[in-house]
Amino acid sequence: MSLPAIAEKDFHDTVRSRGMLILVALFSLLVAVFAYVFAPPGEQFATEFLLSAAVGPFLVTTLVPLVGVVVGYNAVSGERESGSLKLLLSLPHSRADVVFGKVVGRGAALSLAVFSGFLLPALVLLALSQLGYIQAFNVGSYLGYTVFAAVLGVVFVAIATGCSAAASTQRRALIGGVAIYVLFVMLWGAVTGQFLNAAGDAGLLNPLPVSQQQIGVFLQVANPITGVELLSNAFLSGRLFSGEVVNHQVSAVSMLVFWTIAPPLVGLWKFDADDL
Amino acid sequence: MTAIELRGVTKEFADVTAVRGLDLTVEEGEVYGFLGPNGAGKSTTIDMVLDLVRPTEGTVRVLGRDATADGVSIRQRTGVLPDGFAVYDRLTGRQHVEFAVRSKEADDDPDDLLDRVGLLGDADRKAGGYSKGMRQRLALAMALAGDPDLLILDEPSSGLDPAGAKEMREIVRTEADRGATVFFSSHILEQVEAVCDRVGILRAGELVAEDSVEGLREAVGGEETLEIAIAGGANGASEAGGAGDAAVDAVRDLDGVSRVDRDGDALVVSCADGAKTRVIGALEDAGVAVADFHTREASLEDLFLAYTEGDAPGEEREGGSDDDAADAEEVDR
Repeated sequence: MSLPAIAEKDFHDTVRSRGMLILVALFSLLVAVFAYVFAPPGEQFATEFLLSAAVGPFLVTTLVPLVGVVVGYNAVSGERESGSLKLLLSLPHSRADVVFGKVVGRGAALSLAVFSGFLLPALVLLALSQLGYIQAFNVGSYLGYTVFAAVLGVVFVAIATGCSAAASTQRRALIGGVAIYVLFVMLWGAVTGQFLNAAGDAGLLNPLPVSQQQIGVFLQVANPITGVELLSNAFLSGRLFSGEVVNHQVSAVSMLVFWTIAPPLVGLWKFDADDL
Repeated sequence: MTAIELRGVTKEFADVTAVRGLDLTVEEGEVYGFLGPNGAGKSTTIDMVLDLVRPTEGTVRVLGRDATADGVSIRQRTGVLPDGFAVYDRLTGRQHVEFAVRSKEADDDPDDLLDRVGLLGDADRKAGGYSKGMRQRLALAMALAGDPDLLILDEPSSGLDPAGAKEMREIVRTEADRGATVFFSSHILEQVEAVCDRVGILRAGELVAEDSVEGLREAVGGEETLEIAIAGGANGASEAGGAGDAAVDAVRDLDGVSRVDRDGDALVVSCADGAKTRVIGALEDAGVAVADFHTREASLEDLFLAYTEGDAPGEEREGGSDDDAADAEEVDR
């Protein structure tokens, strides 16, 4: 079992890249800007509102997937193109260890970046609330939300790493990464909507014991971004895994697990059969 | 048990057959030199041994196990210095070696390994700043982790200066004395000659010769190469300033002489052991003054060229290798 060794090495390698530092700075800066814009001194400050209305839609759902793709898309193909994969595979590692070790190592590195990026502004907000400049800053909500942001990042690292394992060149991996981002961030609703309508018109859905609308909702939360949004909003409003839409939340969680495991598996299937 | 065993191995890529019906056996404990010009299929063969590339046909067994099915357990006991590899630029030399030790579940002290390859002083520098030779040493240190039963070194001397290449040979010797099997590829022949128990020569994807260095030398005919410097000036020299055509023809017609080449003022004669005196005699009979002569044993380079050049299509090594031979002579003198 050499997956932990690869994960650890990749984590060290990734956190030492200059990009990571830029990332942490960028997160901190943006969170701070949003906090400033949405909470002028002296007025009411709601942590939940800041997160679900500002940080969520503008930062987490667009920037975190992008960062995940950037961190993941060259995970395997980059090493393949440079030749360090030869060094890696000269040691007793299976190709499965390589792909999943990368997902774990880079996922951890990205989580670290998200946590540090959110933590710096949090310290400032906490200090401000202690000094009475803003009303109660909810540390629990803030930290919990950070976990959701990190989860979303890890899911995109996994999807992009799977794509990277399947790609024989860095160029293809890059194209794949862009496609992943465009699909999930911009086109998901349109694509799944088209798909659903076409399937409905062709009568393919009739044998299924669910309505077209139910499938539509499922397809929506099948997008990891929507899934995380759904879950984090439920968390912020204190209704995580309770209330009438709990089945949506369960779907969202299962789809997040699916997206973390399936793309690396498919990538591995291709990678394992390739001549390197 | 055999360390490496290839049976009827063929590898076809989309546009080329890199290896064709290759049978190759490396016995446990031997040092095997795998030779061939660039593009002969050496790297593809090694990649198949390492399971980076899967054979189209045939079987590859390493340390008694199937290369594809048991790749991980094979590499647990194998040290590999790959060709055309890259290091992790942001990690230090020591981190690289630590990673190798950990991956092999070995208990080596990374500093000992770095010291063996002469990198201890640079252990805390990031490998991205290493020179080609230092990267080569680093990969060797990683390969040595865990006292492997089999060492596979693909072009180990590339990027090393002569001193580094010598250290590399010493390490190969030490590992072989410890009982490890060493399999390495090269196109630099002196190194093979110095350390190998046995060599195999690959050409266009096929093994064209396999023997000990002495055996190969005998197989090529035990010929000697005689280099004769002709005195310049009017006495016996043609207008071209060397031995005349008549003299060259006279030598060429002698029994036991297989080849005569003119090289400026010198003649290079390939001949059987006993023909030396007759060659000198024939030249003097033709009125050519011999200023100096000496013989040299057929070098591995000559053997190599004899096996790899021939009528192989697309080979254009003739000019370059002649120059190399001339350089080697100069060093000899």
